[in-house]
Amino acid sequence: MSTILEAQDLKKYFKTKNGYLHAVDGVSFRIEEGKTLGVVGESGCGKSTLGRIVLHLHESTGGKLFYQGQDITHVNKPRLRQLREDMQIIFQDPFSSLNPRMSVRETIAEPLILNGKERGTDLNNEVDRVMETVGLPQRLADSYPHELDGGRRQRIGIGRALALNPRFIVCDEPVSALDVSIQAQILNLLQDLQEEKKLSYMFITHDLSVVKYISHDIAVMYLGQLVEKAETKALFARPAHPYTKALLSAILLPDIHAKKERIILKGEITSPINPPKGCRFAGRCQYATSRCEEEQKLEEVEKNHFVACCRAKELGM
Amino acid sequence: MESVHKELLKIENLVVEYTSEDNIIHAVNGIDLDILEGETVGLVGETGAGKTTIAKSILRILPDPPAKICGGKIVFQGTDILQMKEEEIRSIRGRQISMIFQDPMTALNPTITVGKQIAEAVGLHEKLTKSERKQKAIQILEKAGISRERYDDFPHQFSGGMKQRAVIAMALVCSPLLLLADEPTTALDVTIQAQVLQMMSELKKEFHTSVLMITHDLGVVAETCDKVAVIYAGEIIEFGTAEDIFDHAAHPYTLGLFGSLPDLNSENRRLKPISGMMPDPAHLPAGCKFYDRCPHASPKCRNSVPDKRKLGQSHYVRCFYSGGNV
Ligand SMILES: Nc1ncnc2c1ncn2[C@@H]1O[C@H](COP(=O)(O)OP(=O)(O)OP(=O)(O)O)[C@@H](O)[C@H]1O
Ligand SMILES: Nc1ncnc2c1ncn2[C@@H]1O[C@H](COP(=O)(O)OP(=O)(O)OP(=O)(O)O)[C@@H](O)[C@H]1O
Ligand code: SF4
Ligand SMILES: [Mg+2]
Ligand SMILES: [Mg+2]
Repeated sequence: MSTILEAQDLKKYFKTKNGYLHAVDGVSFRIEEGKTLGVVGESGCGKSTLGRIVLHLHESTGGKLFYQGQDITHVNKPRLRQLREDMQIIFQDPFSSLNPRMSVRETIAEPLILNGKERGTDLNNEVDRVMETVGLPQRLADSYPHELDGGRRQRIGIGRALALNPRFIVCDEPVSALDVSIQAQILNLLQDLQEEKKLSYMFITHDLSVVKYISHDIAVMYLGQLVEKAETKALFARPAHPYTKALLSAILLPDIHAKKERIILKGEITSPINPPKGCRFAGRCQYATSRCEEEQKLEEVEKNHFVACCRAKELGM
Repeated sequence: MESVHKELLKIENLVVEYTSEDNIIHAVNGIDLDILEGETVGLVGETGAGKTTIAKSILRILPDPPAKICGGKIVFQGTDILQMKEEEIRSIRGRQISMIFQDPMTALNPTITVGKQIAEAVGLHEKLTKSERKQKAIQILEKAGISRERYDDFPHQFSGGMKQRAVIAMALVCSPLLLLADEPTTALDVTIQAQVLQMMSELKKEFHTSVLMITHDLGVVAETCDKVAVIYAGEIIEFGTAEDIFDHAAHPYTLGLFGSLPDLNSENRRLKPISGMMPDPAHLPAGCKFYDRCPHASPKCRNSVPDKRKLGQSHYVRCFYSGGNV
């Protein structure tokens, strides 16, 4: 297996009137070819910002980025255009991410044209092929986004991302705005595409059952940092960080016999503006001690299972 | 709790339409729904199924036009709300029946401190002096897990979860008989959702409030509801106790919803989505509204609307197919 994308100590700080907002603060991970890394965490923890730096939609403040072993932290325009063929993004809100004045055909054709493809039969065939891949019937080619339902709009978004035959896609909450029956259609589609085309995904979501379903590995993010990283099975079977434990305990299963103890978090959420150097979860953590005021680094607690909490080992998993 | 509960709300054959340019949108198509005292009834369904419209009909706060209640009864403690005079319904709103709206952030006035807003709500309900009102408001904040030091904070100084807890506490201050909770946790993160639901269940117990829990999340239903109504295209297509719905679901749509969800406890990497989508409420099909998505559809389903078919004490389904069940 080879690594398609590697991030080392990525940072993104936004300047605000009260100081720097540490949206992404020292994040490292690796995504293998044909696999999915799920990124979970609550609203505002920096998931979208992370996805955007990876695709150079945001300039990073620090850290390094490698694509297929090559350093792509700083790239020039022609190289960026090349990378765009390989690396794409699917957005959360299928409505606002599509141009309302462009038909389905034009929307899917646009990235091809921007990348130098001539208009004509070839282009049309290419668009037809993409539409078929994502399950959009040909008769909708001339429809506009507002005439379609959310599921179909998201299929356009996926089609647009697939048009250039990418190898890696950042999926930023691609099903969060959809009803469950439609969500399942899209999740299946993303999975079929992965198998067919050996795609690699970075799958951003706040929905834990979706992330479990779709990911091979999971990174749990809290206020700009990864607090835990593991293979999906290990993370769900042996969550080690107090935040991950609280998160998993809060999942509501569609099953009346699954009543379980929930960890109810108390305390205030730390501000991401000039955050303290210690554990950012400490304010809500029932296990916090003075040692938690030190910087917490990801450490391997079992093979391929990393946790950033000084008490993880002693608290057991 | 006593075993015989009294009926608090009884909706009978409610029909609501919205009139747009040249269309009539059939949002609610003859639903019946009973809520007993102290009970939590879930109303689950997908976007556009008619959930919010039902809740707003109960309080008679639908925008008219375009909305029009075309028929039915909403009997609350023996009196039909739809026949009440404006003053009568006004004295019920916010007192005997409260509502938590779908968008939590709009429920609080951004220019008034949270504490003051709660005190005002208290004042609407009880004749109290200013300092008594403040005392009571502080108690309510503390019930919502918010310290008294935050009394003078403005809404924007609260996190999303704090705002939602304050809104729920506010809706429950006057110990209403019925709370209409429209997606009270949908906008919240799961850890905050857990907090809010726990608080709701404590307050509900304390005040013995009945709740209509509107949601599209079967997890929330499993956690909070005694009974469940599954709504599709403006019709309740299945109703029963939580056990009926979670363990013995009979309608192909209900079963389809369960099949669509990723199962946390299984290694299966394939979901079973429902094909197609909900029909356009301006052009509803003649027979069963689930017809074109249903794996068990027969010619009969195309032409006639299925009646309620009783499956148990309180369990019914509106579906002709009985192959897989009973
Ligand atoms: N352009 C920007 N300028 C300033 N701050 C920003 C900007 N974009 C994001 N932020 C802040 O960075 C933090 C991370 O935001 P981000 O959108 O990455 O979170 P997220 O995890 O994707 O949240 P959600 O689940 O709500 O989408 C937040 O505190 C946000 O307010
Ligand atoms: N003010 C309005 N004017 C016209 N149509 C409306 C109006 N409000 C709702 N509708 C329509 O009525 C139907 C039912 O809407 P309603 O808001 O009750 O659904 P819902 O089940 O609450 O959906 P959601 O889960 O998205 O909140 C939908 O087709 C909707 O588009
Ligand atoms: S480092 Fe300390 S505060 Fe942070 S999660 Fe671990 S125990 Fe809790
Ligand atoms: Mg985001
Ligand atoms: Mg609604």
